[in-house]
Formats: sequence, structure tokens, C-alpha cells
Amino acid sequence: MNYLTYLLAGIRNKAGRNLATAFCFAFIAANIFSGQYLTSGAGGSVDQGVSRMGADHLVVPAQYQVFSRGFGPENTFAVVRAEPSTYRIRADIMATVGSVQGVMKMSPQLYVATLREPALSPSPVEIYGIDPATDFTIQPWLQHPLSTPMSPGEVIVGHEIKGDISSQISLSSHTYTVAGRLDPTQSPIDRTIFLRMDDAYALAATEGIVPSSDPRVSYGDINAVLLQGDPGEGSDLVAARIRRAFSPTYITVISRHFSLDPALQEIKDLPRLLTYISLIVVVAALPLISLIAAMVAHERQREIGLIRSMGAKRHVIISLVFAESLILAATGGIFGVGVSLIAFTLISTQIIDSSALHVSFALPTVADIGMMAGVALLVVITLGSISSIYPAYQSSTISPYDAIRKNG
Amino acid sequence: MIEGIGVTKVFRHGRSDVVAVDDVHLNVIPGEFVLIYGRSGSGKSTLLGMLGGLINPTSGVIRVNGLDIGNLSDAMISEVRAKEIGFVFQFSGHIPTVTVLENVMLPMLFYRDGPGSLSRAVELIRRVGLSDRADAYPCTLSSGEMKRVAIARALINSPPILIADEPTGDLDIDTEYEIMQLFQQLNSEGMTFVMVTHNLDLVPFGTRTYRMDRGKMMEIPRPLPGVTMTKEPNTHLDHDAGTAMNEL
Ligand SMILES: Nc1ncnc2c1ncn2[C@@H]1O[C@H](COP(=O)(O)OP(=O)(O)OP(=O)(O)O)[C@@H](O)[C@H]1O
Ligand SMILES: [Mg+2]
Repeated sequence: MNYLTYLLAGIRNKAGRNLATAFCFAFIAANIFSGQYLTSGAGGSVDQGVSRMGADHLVVPAQYQVFSRGFGPENTFAVVRAEPSTYRIRADIMATVGSVQGVMKMSPQLYVATLREPALSPSPVEIYGIDPATDFTIQPWLQHPLSTPMSPGEVIVGHEIKGDISSQISLSSHTYTVAGRLDPTQSPIDRTIFLRMDDAYALAATEGIVPSSDPRVSYGDINAVLLQGDPGEGSDLVAARIRRAFSPTYITVISRHFSLDPALQEIKDLPRLLTYISLIVVVAALPLISLIAAMVAHERQREIGLIRSMGAKRHVIISLVFAESLILAATGGIFGVGVSLIAFTLISTQIIDSSALHVSFALPTVADIGMMAGVALLVVITLGSISSIYPAYQSSTISPYDAIRKNG
Repeated sequence: MIEGIGVTKVFRHGRSDVVAVDDVHLNVIPGEFVLIYGRSGSGKSTLLGMLGGLINPTSGVIRVNGLDIGNLSDAMISEVRAKEIGFVFQFSGHIPTVTVLENVMLPMLFYRDGPGSLSRAVELIRRVGLSDRADAYPCTLSSGEMKRVAIARALINSPPILIADEPTGDLDIDTEYEIMQLFQQLNSEGMTFVMVTHNLDLVPFGTRTYRMDRGKMMEIPRPLPGVTMTKEPNTHLDHDAGTAMNEL
């Protein structure tokens, strides 16, 4: 017989009521935990999702559409990389494109070739040239930001390409240093090596890289200009302005036919909404839990009087009432967090799969989850403590004899 | 051992006051067996509650081992309750959530290095005749059985003083006899008793007897009027309690 077994016996005795109380704590903990979980997921994805959403428009050679598999009005994937194509345009169109009203960002991409490089990847490797200074679609996918801007001879590699940061990889007679690695995208980007534009031209000029059946890559050739429009300007309007500036037989503008903006707004509002809900739950639960704690203490008066008569000191009574509350809060809290976590684990694959960008929901790390669970538990335990302050104090002050007499 | 000087307790009942205990003087010396009887409502339980440090007197002083228990801190009065006094309540002296054995051992929580032990608990349960109910929960016991649990519990820490409010009230004659035998043995070993009873047949067990009437307490000279004493008052202190009981 010790205090714990005594307490647990008391809790067991009113199993139904105590289960209900613990469930109440579980609900609060689950609410707070879920709120944080979704907020952090959404919050991470707002930052990451926006930066990884890629381009709004692609300026490509007029013939390009033939090759743009699946890039129709219904497509929802992020335009991060232009499709491999041997139709090219000249980079000097960027001066004109850049001057079009509503164009915020633009960056060229050049598809060089697709190579068999078993040392780097079992699947064929696609080689692209990018302009690191203006690139806004590839580098957001870096696992870690580059420590210094990409210098000549440095490459960024997709997730499936072998080669750690700072290691050397060879393509034909050229050797490059891996400056950065990308997160997985479940797309051909995972099997792509991105070179600086000048390195790309140098590689393209090397014998055996570009098949002799294909048009040669001349200096200044590019496959596409990736654009990001001013959100204030209508997307179609910007595309129309660019088209108007060129001959329709030379270039065409492909626009992403989905806009994440309204959804994005919702995602941005989500954290605040969840915080409010959690707050309301906590505020609503406090009087309820206090009431239960007071009820328990009241119905225990006789028992408390009895153990007071046996010599239980006031602080022992206070501790017992507190401890009971804490046991219920902790049990409920752990249960609530556990159930939420299991639920999230089960549905997280769906969340990710269903998201347009495959990135709009970022799963929190284990450390983050630990933190969130800690916060949720802390809140319910604090709640349990606060709600039992008064009952604990009151229980400790009742006259032992009166308590026994009144409730005998 | 326990000393009461001018002990008075007034309860407020709406506008009128009830003087439950009225200027009681009492000096219980170690090894005594004090019996108190009196009509219902005469203040016996209230007096015991005050002597046990469970009710604060309205006026007067109560000393336990010379310590004025009216002026003690919570820690100190708790210590007196835990170490000095075993208390058997008139009603409902059990915790419903734990077994008989655990009920009996409960006071050990509050007197850690006291003489209480599992073996002592088992022995006391045997002595009050509940060996086969040790693992039962109180709600399954009869009121007489519950009373016996309360007695065993009050004795677990071998308190120097046992204050018992009609401890044999719900018991049949045989069980009452066994309990009184136990009390008498403990008394002969030095435990001091203050006990309320309605059974005047128990008077010979007492070294002193008081009667309460509307809060006033007076000592009854021996032999008690109307009660035939077949035994010298103090001889029951001898170790063979069985003989004493048989002679009643
Ligand atoms: N907490 C209380 N509040 C108000 N009045 C009380 C309280 N306790 C006792 N009384 C009153 O004090 C008087 C004495 O009560 P007490 O319980 O001491 O009597 P008793 O002699 O033990 O009676 P019984 O033999 O029936 O147990 C009664 O009139 C009772 O109503
Ligand atoms: Mg009484």
C-alpha cells in the first residue's frame, strides 16, 4: 500500500467518470496537438510550397507543344523544369520578355542531352543548363541552401543521382563538383543534373553528348524561359502580352492553368483558425474540468476527513487531489496525442498524394512532433493543475470530523 | 495523558446555539480505561472528537501528553493524530475504494516509521474476526464487520491512546466479547482507552466511568447504581480477559 496504489484505487472506483475526465483531457490534447501538427505542416508548405511552385508561364519554341506531354489545362503539377526538347529559341528574347508588364521573374533553361551514366543513376540522366543567378524554380528544391552561389564546374543534382555534396562526378571528359542536392520530387527532375549555362554549352559542344541526329546546341540557345508573373496582374493577360511581342511561329507561351492563390490563402488562414479552435476548447474545458474536480473533491470529503483523522497532513491531501488530476490529465493527454499521431501517420500518405505539388503538406520531423506532444501535454497538465487548485485547497481545510459526519 | 480543562463546544443551529459539550473537566491518566455513557445527543461523540484533536473546542484546553492541541500547527496536530491516538468513529470509518486489509494498513501511510506492518494488520484482522474477509471491499461488509475494520485500523500503529465511539455498537454479544477481550489485553499492555458505550454491561471494564447529560459530564462512583457488579473494578486488568468476560 502506497500513495499511488491508494490513488489508483480511487480512480478505478469511479472508472466511468474518470474515463470521461481523461477523455476530456485527451480531446484537448488531441486538439492542441493536431492544431500544431497541421499548422506546422501547412506553415512549412506555405513557405516551401510557394517557393517550389515553380513558374507561372513557360516561353518556349512554337513547336514545343507537341512535346509537352500532359501539360494541358487540367494539369496541376509544378513547372519547375522545362521538358526535354531539341527545339530551341535564342536567349536574347529575354530582353523583350523581361520588359513585358507583369513579368516578375524569369530564368532560362537549356536541355542538353539525356545520357546513360550507370555510375550516377540506373536510369538515363538528363542534363540541363540553368542560370543560377536568376533561377527560381530549381534551387528552392535544394535539401540545403548553397553556401556560396554556384561557381563554374559546380552542379546541382536530382535526388536519384549518386554523389554527395562536394564529391566529383564525371560526364564524358568533364568533371563537376556536386554543390547541392535536391529533395525528391517523384518526377524526372530526380534524374537530372543541372549545370551552369556556360558549362552546359561547353558540355553540349563535346563530341558524343548531343546525338548527331539532333540539331547542334549553339551558344545562346535555350529551350525555355520560365516566368513568374506579378500576382496582381491577370495571368492570361501577361501571357497575351508576351505572345503579342513575338511572332506566333517563333514562340508560344504555356501558362499553368491552375492558381493556388485562393487555396494558399486558406492554408495561410489555417494556423490562425486552428489556434482559435484550440483556445476555445481550452477555455471551454477549464470550467468543466474544474467542476469535475470540485465534484470529486466534494464526494471525497468523508474519505479526506477520515485520512486527516489518521494523521494525513494538509499538504498530503493537497498532493493527493493534485496527483489524481495530474494522472488523469497525463493519461488523457498521452492518449489524445497518441491517437492523433496514429491518425496523422495513417492519413499522411493521402495528404501528400492528394496535394497538387506533392509538397503542399510537409510532415513535421520527429523532433517537431516531440515538441508538439510536449506542448499538448504541458497544456493539459497545466489545465489539470489549475482546475484542481481550488478543490485541493478546499479539501485540505475541511474539518475532519465535520466531513465524516456530514457525508457519513 | 489526555487532559480536558473546561472543554466546551457550542454549535450554531440557525439562531439558537446548541451547547453540545458544557465545561467538561477530565484527566485521563496512562493505562486507564475510561468509559462514557449517556443519552443520545448528550455530547459524547463531540467530546471524543475534541479529545482526538478532530474538533476544535469553543473554549477550554485539551492537552495530549502535556501538549495543548488547540495551538498546534497542522503538521504537529497531524503527527499527534498519526502517532498518539487511534480513533474509532461512531459511523462509517472505512475507505470504500480499498480492501479490508488495505483499509487497516492505510494509517501506515501517515506514520511511516510507526509500528504498523503487514503482519500486524493480518493479526489484527484475525483478532477482530475478519480473516476470511481481508481481501473484500468494505461495501460487501455488514455494519458490524465495518466497525471491526475500523477498530483494526485504529490499532494498526499501536497508538498509546485509543478513542472509540461505540466500537461494539453494532456487534452481537459474542463478537462484542471478543473485541472487549482484545481491548482489555491491549489495555493491560499499557494502551489507554477512552470509550463511549451504550452497553452498561461493559462498565466493569472501565477503570473510570462517566455519564454525560446535555453536555455536562459527571463521574459515576462505583458500583454503578442499578448495575450489579460481580467483579472488582480493577481485577479485569489481569491478563486473562476471558475469565473477566465470563463473570459478567
Ligand atoms: N457538527 C454539528 N453541527 C451542529 N450540531 C451538532 C454537530 N455535531 C453535534 N451537534 C449537536 O450536538 C449535540 C451532541 O451531539 P453528539 O453527536 O455529540 O451526541 P452523542 O452523545 O454522541 O449522541 P449519540 O449517542 O446519538 O451518538 C447534538 O444535539 C447534535 O445535534
Ligand atoms: Mg455519538
